[in-house]
Amino acid sequence: MTKIIQDAYICAATRTPIGKAPKGTFKHTRPDDLLAHVLKGIYESTPSLDLNMIGDVIIGCAMPEAEQGMNVARLALLMAGYPHTVPGITINRFCSSGLQAVAMAADKIRLGEEDLMIAGGTESMSLIPMMGNKVVMNPGIFKEEHLAIAYGMGLTAEKVAQKWKISREEQDKFALFSHKKACNAILEGQFSEEIKPYLVNEYSPGASGSVVTKSLIVNWDEGPRPDSTFEALSKLKAVFSQNGSVTAGNSSQMSDGAAALLLASEKAVQKFNLKPLAKFLGYAVAGVPPEIMGIGPIEAIPKVLKRTGLSLKDIDWIELNEAFAAQALAVMQQLDLDPSIVNPLGGAIALGHPLGATGAIRTATLLHGLKRHKKKYGIVTMCIGSGMGAAAVFENLS
Amino acid sequence: MQTLRVETCTFKKIAVLGAGVMGAQIAAHFANAHISVTLFDLPSEGESRNKIVIEALNSLKKMEPSPLVSIKSLNYITPANYDNNLIDLKNCDLIIEAISERMDIKQNLFKKIEPYLSNTCILASNTSGLSITELAKLFEPQLATRFCGIHFFNPPRYMPLVEVIPHANTSTAVLNDLEEFLTSHIGKGVIRAKDTPNFIANRIGVFSLLSTIFHAKKFGLNYETADALTGSFLGRPKSATFRTLDVVGLDTLDHVIKTMETSLKADSWSFLYKTPDDIAHLLNCHHFGQKTGKGFFQKKGKDILVFDFETKSYRTIDVKTDPEVVKILTMKSPSEKFRCLINSSLPQAKFIWCLYRDLFHYCSVNLASIAHSAREVDLALRWGFGWEKGPFEIWQDIGWQEVTLQIHKEIENKFTLSSQPLPDWVYAQTAVHKETGSFSAYSLKFEPASTLSVYKRQLWPEPNLENKNLPGKTIFETEGFRLWTLDDEVCIASFKSKMHAIGKDILNGLLESISIAEKNYKGLILWQPKAPFSAGAHLGEIVKCLESNNEVVLKDMLSKFQKVSMALKQSSVPTIAAIQGLVLGGGCEFMMHCTKTVAHIESYVGLVEAGVGLLPAGGGCKEFVLRASQESKGNNPFPFLQKYFENIAKAKISKSAVEAKEFGFLKPSDTIIFNSNELLHVAHSEINNLYESCYRPFPTAIDIVAGGRDSVATLQTQLVNLKEGQFISEHDFEVTMRIANIFGGGNIDGGTLISENWLLELESKYFLELLALPKTHERIKYMLANGKPLRN
Repeated sequence: MTKIIQDAYICAATRTPIGKAPKGTFKHTRPDDLLAHVLKGIYESTPSLDLNMIGDVIIGCAMPEAEQGMNVARLALLMAGYPHTVPGITINRFCSSGLQAVAMAADKIRLGEEDLMIAGGTESMSLIPMMGNKVVMNPGIFKEEHLAIAYGMGLTAEKVAQKWKISREEQDKFALFSHKKACNAILEGQFSEEIKPYLVNEYSPGASGSVVTKSLIVNWDEGPRPDSTFEALSKLKAVFSQNGSVTAGNSSQMSDGAAALLLASEKAVQKFNLKPLAKFLGYAVAGVPPEIMGIGPIEAIPKVLKRTGLSLKDIDWIELNEAFAAQALAVMQQLDLDPSIVNPLGGAIALGHPLGATGAIRTATLLHGLKRHKKKYGIVTMCIGSGMGAAAVFENLS
Repeated sequence: MQTLRVETCTFKKIAVLGAGVMGAQIAAHFANAHISVTLFDLPSEGESRNKIVIEALNSLKKMEPSPLVSIKSLNYITPANYDNNLIDLKNCDLIIEAISERMDIKQNLFKKIEPYLSNTCILASNTSGLSITELAKLFEPQLATRFCGIHFFNPPRYMPLVEVIPHANTSTAVLNDLEEFLTSHIGKGVIRAKDTPNFIANRIGVFSLLSTIFHAKKFGLNYETADALTGSFLGRPKSATFRTLDVVGLDTLDHVIKTMETSLKADSWSFLYKTPDDIAHLLNCHHFGQKTGKGFFQKKGKDILVFDFETKSYRTIDVKTDPEVVKILTMKSPSEKFRCLINSSLPQAKFIWCLYRDLFHYCSVNLASIAHSAREVDLALRWGFGWEKGPFEIWQDIGWQEVTLQIHKEIENKFTLSSQPLPDWVYAQTAVHKETGSFSAYSLKFEPASTLSVYKRQLWPEPNLENKNLPGKTIFETEGFRLWTLDDEVCIASFKSKMHAIGKDILNGLLESISIAEKNYKGLILWQPKAPFSAGAHLGEIVKCLESNNEVVLKDMLSKFQKVSMALKQSSVPTIAAIQGLVLGGGCEFMMHCTKTVAHIESYVGLVEAGVGLLPAGGGCKEFVLRASQESKGNNPFPFLQKYFENIAKAKISKSAVEAKEFGFLKPSDTIIFNSNELLHVAHSEINNLYESCYRPFPTAIDIVAGGRDSVATLQTQLVNLKEGQFISEHDFEVTMRIANIFGGGNIDGGTLISENWLLELESKYFLELLALPKTHERIKYMLANGKPLRN
C-alpha cells in the first residue's frame, strides 16, 4: 500500500468531442485551442474556485511539437484566462500521457505539496503526424536487441495477434461491437455531461478579398459508424503485414481532442465547496517487450490492483484503450476480464484515440459513467508504444 | 528551324454534350491538355442538378487504363446540365455532341442548343454511324458550314484515331482548323472520312472482325485459338479478335453491325452484316463483355475462362495453335510468309489467308466510296484498331500483283465471301502507296498527303506509306547506334537495339556523339523513331559478363554509364531527351541528366533497377539526392529524399508524362507535348532557344546537403517494417537498404556537404555489391526470360 498524506479527489472532468483525423471537423483546429477550451470548462463548472490556488497544470501530449509544442500546457492555460500565477507543464508517455498527468497531479496532492491541481491532455493528429513532423531515427536501434523500437504499432499488434492466437474474425467482431456500443451511448446521451461542445470556425477566401467564416458547434464524437457491418470490416485489407489480420477497421482511429480534470485535497474540497466525482486510488506503469507493446495492461493492471489493495472482482468498469482489437482481446483473455464491464460505451476503435489526450478523456468518461450508473470502482488502462502499460483506479463518490 | 506554332488555339473553351463513357473520356482528354471543358448532361432532380456529370467524373477516376494523365486534369472540367447552363455555350469554340446514337434524340438536343451558340463556334457530332449529311440538314446554312462529324475511338486518350467527317457544305477552313488543333494540341491522328455508314475504320475493322468470326466457325477454331492466331502474329493487338470484342462491348458492336445491316443492304457482303448467333446469345444473357464482367471471356480470380457456345457455359482455355502454322507466321519476309500461307493445306494457314483475301477484296471494292485514298484506310486501321500496318500496306508488302492474281482466281472459283469482281484499278496498279502519294480509287490518281502546316511539325512523319526514304543524314553509325542530323545544326542520337536497351555500343556511341556535338553542333537530341525511348540497360550483356566472370568489363560498363550521364549534363552544348513510351532504368538516368526533356504525354518513366536486384548507378540516385537538397532550400532534405527514395525502392513507373513530373523524374521546366510525331520539332526548338541564350552547363555540385546516417536509419525503419510485415523479401531489403545508404549520403553526419562524385562512388560501390549476390543473378535471368520481375 502506498503511504499518502491526504487523498486526491477529482472534482471536475470535461473533454472536447473527439474529431476524426486528418479530415474531420477539427482538421484545422489547433490542439492548444482545444486545450484552452477544456481548461476554461474547469473554472466555468467550479465558479467558487480561487484560480490562484492551483498548484500546477499538468498536460499530457504524445507528440509535443509545432501547434502543441513549446509547453502547450502553459500557453493554453494563459489563453484560457488563468492568472499568470498558475504554472503549467507538458509531459509525455505516449498514449498514457493524459492518464499519467492525472496520476502526477494526484500525487502532488497526496504528497501534501498542493491542494488544487489540474491534469489533462491534448492531441491533434490532424495537424501533427504520428511520430512528429521530423522523424529522425537513431542508427543504434538496428542492433538485434533493439530492433523492435523500429516496429510500427500495427506490426506489434500483429505479433500480439499471432502470439495470443487472436483471429481476424474475433478482431472484426470486437471492432463492430465497439461501434455498436459507442453509437448506442451517443443515442442515449451518455457523453453529454462530459463533453463541452466546441465552436469550430473555418476561415476561407470569399469574394473580393473578404474572408468567409463558417461556424459549426460540435457536440458529438465523430468516429462511431452506425453503418459499420461485419462484412464490410472483413473485406478490409491487412495494412501492416502481407498476410496479417490487423486492418484500419479493427485498429483505433486517428483523432483530435482534449480533456481536463480538476483534482483537489479534502481541504480544498471543503474550502471551495467542490463536489468530488471520484477518489483517485492509485496508478501503475510497467514495461513489456516493445515488439508486443499491446499487452502492457497485462502487467499494469495487477500492479495497480496490488497497490490499491483491490482485486479484479471489485472492479465494475474498465476503460481499456482499444489501440488495436488484437491487443485489447489479448489483454482481456490473459487477465480473464469480464467483457461486459470493458468499454461499455465503446472504445478507441469507434470513438478514436487522440494519443496523449486519450488517458484524460477516458478518465472523464469513466468518472461520469460510474456516477450515472452508480458503480463503485473503475480502471482506466492502456498499452504504450515502445512497450509499456499504464493503469489507474478510481472510486466513485457521487 | 522554322517556327511552326499551330495558331489554331482559338479553341479556348470546349463543350462536350453527353457524359456517357465516350463523352466523359473525350472531355477528360481535352482536360489532360489543360483545355477548359464544360461537360453537359441531363439535369438531375434534387439539390445537385449536375449529379450525372459529377458521377461520370468520379467514375473516370476509377477507370483502368486511366483516361486522366493526372487527377488534376479534372480541375479543367466544369460539370453542367441542359437546364441551367446552356448559356455557357456562348463562350465555347468547339462543341462536341456525344449523346446516344439516335437521330431524334440528337435532333432534339441540337434544336435546344442552337440559340445559345456563338457565330464562330464549330459544332461536331461524335457519331459512329449516323449520317452527317442528314444531321446537317437541321441547321441554318451558316451554322451548317461549321458542322461536321468527329469520331473518336475508345479509349480516346490512348487511341490515336479521330475521323473527321464533313458534309457537302462544311467549310474547308473549319476542317483545317479542327485537324490542326486535334493533331497538335491533343495528339490525335486525324483522317478525313467520307460520310458513309460507319465511316472508314469501323467499316473495315468491323468487316474484318465479322469475317474472322465467320471463318473461325468455318474452320472449327475455338475463340481462344482464333485469338492466338489473329493477334500479335498478324501485327495486331494482343486482344486479337474476340477479346477485342469484349473490350469494345458486344452491345456496342451489335449497334455498329445493325447500322451496316440497315444501311448497306445492297452491298454484296451484306449477308455478313448480321449479329452472329453466339453474340446474340451472349447479348440475351446480358453478357456484354468487359463492362459486365462476362462476354466471350470471363476473368475469374487469376484465371481466364472462355464461353463455350455448345454447352452455353464458361470453361478453361484450350489454345490449339498448329506449330507448323506458327512457324509460317513468324517468317520475316512478308511475301515468303504469304506464299506459304496460300500454298499450305493446313486449316489454320488457310484460315489466315482467307481473312486477308476477303479483307483485301472488301477494301479494294469499297475504297472509292469510303475514302479519299488508300492512305486513309491504312491509317484508320493503324490508329483506330492498333494494327501495325493497314490492309493496303500489307497487300503491297506481300506483292501487289501476285496477290491480285490469287484473289482473282479465288473469286472465279467462288471461294471468296463475295463474288463481286475486283475493281479494274486493282489490276492496273503495281502499288497503292508511292512517293508521289497514295492511290485514290475515286480520282484514279495518286493523291499526295495533306499539306496542312501542322504536318510540317512532324519532322519524322508516320512511318512507311509513301515515304519509304527516311529523312536525315547519318553522321556515324554502328550496329546499335546512329548519330544523324536533319539540318547540319543539331545532331540526333538514336538507338537501334531491341527495346532500345543500352549496351556497350550505345554507351560508346553516346560518348562520341557528345564530343562531336560539342565540336560541330548547336546541341544533341536523344530520340528514337518509335517508342520506347529505352527499356534500360542491356541485361543480356550484363549476364554475359557475369557468366564469364568478367568483372573488368562490368566495371567498365558501369563507369561508362556514369560517364555518359555526366557528359550529357556537363556538355558545353545543350542536350535534350525527346522521350515517349517506356523510359526505364538507364534510359531514365540519361534523360534525368539531359539539359532538358521534351516528353510525349504517353511517357512511362521509372527507375526500376530494384526489380532485377540492382540499383540505379548511372547517376539516378545521385540526381534525386541532388534535387532533394536543392528543393529543400537549406532546410531538412529528408522529406524530399523520402519521396524520391520511394520512386526507386518501389520501382515506380509513371502512367503519363504529367505523373512523371509529379514523381520528380521530369523537372517542372520540362516540356510535355501531345503528338509524338512532333517530338523532334519541339526538341529542335528547345535546342535553338538554349543555344540562343548562350547556354552553359552548371558546374558539378559540391554543396549537396546530406541527410546523413540518421536519414538512413529513418528509411531503414520503414524498410524493417515492410520486411517484418512480409511486404518485401529479404533480398528486397538488401537492395533497398543500399539505396537508402546512397540517399543518406552514406554513414556520415546529417548536414554534411557532399559532391556529385561522392554519390556516384556510392552508387558504384553498392551496385557492385548487389551484382555479386546470387539472388540478383536470379532476378536478372528471370527478367530476361520472362519479361517481368522475380520477387525472390
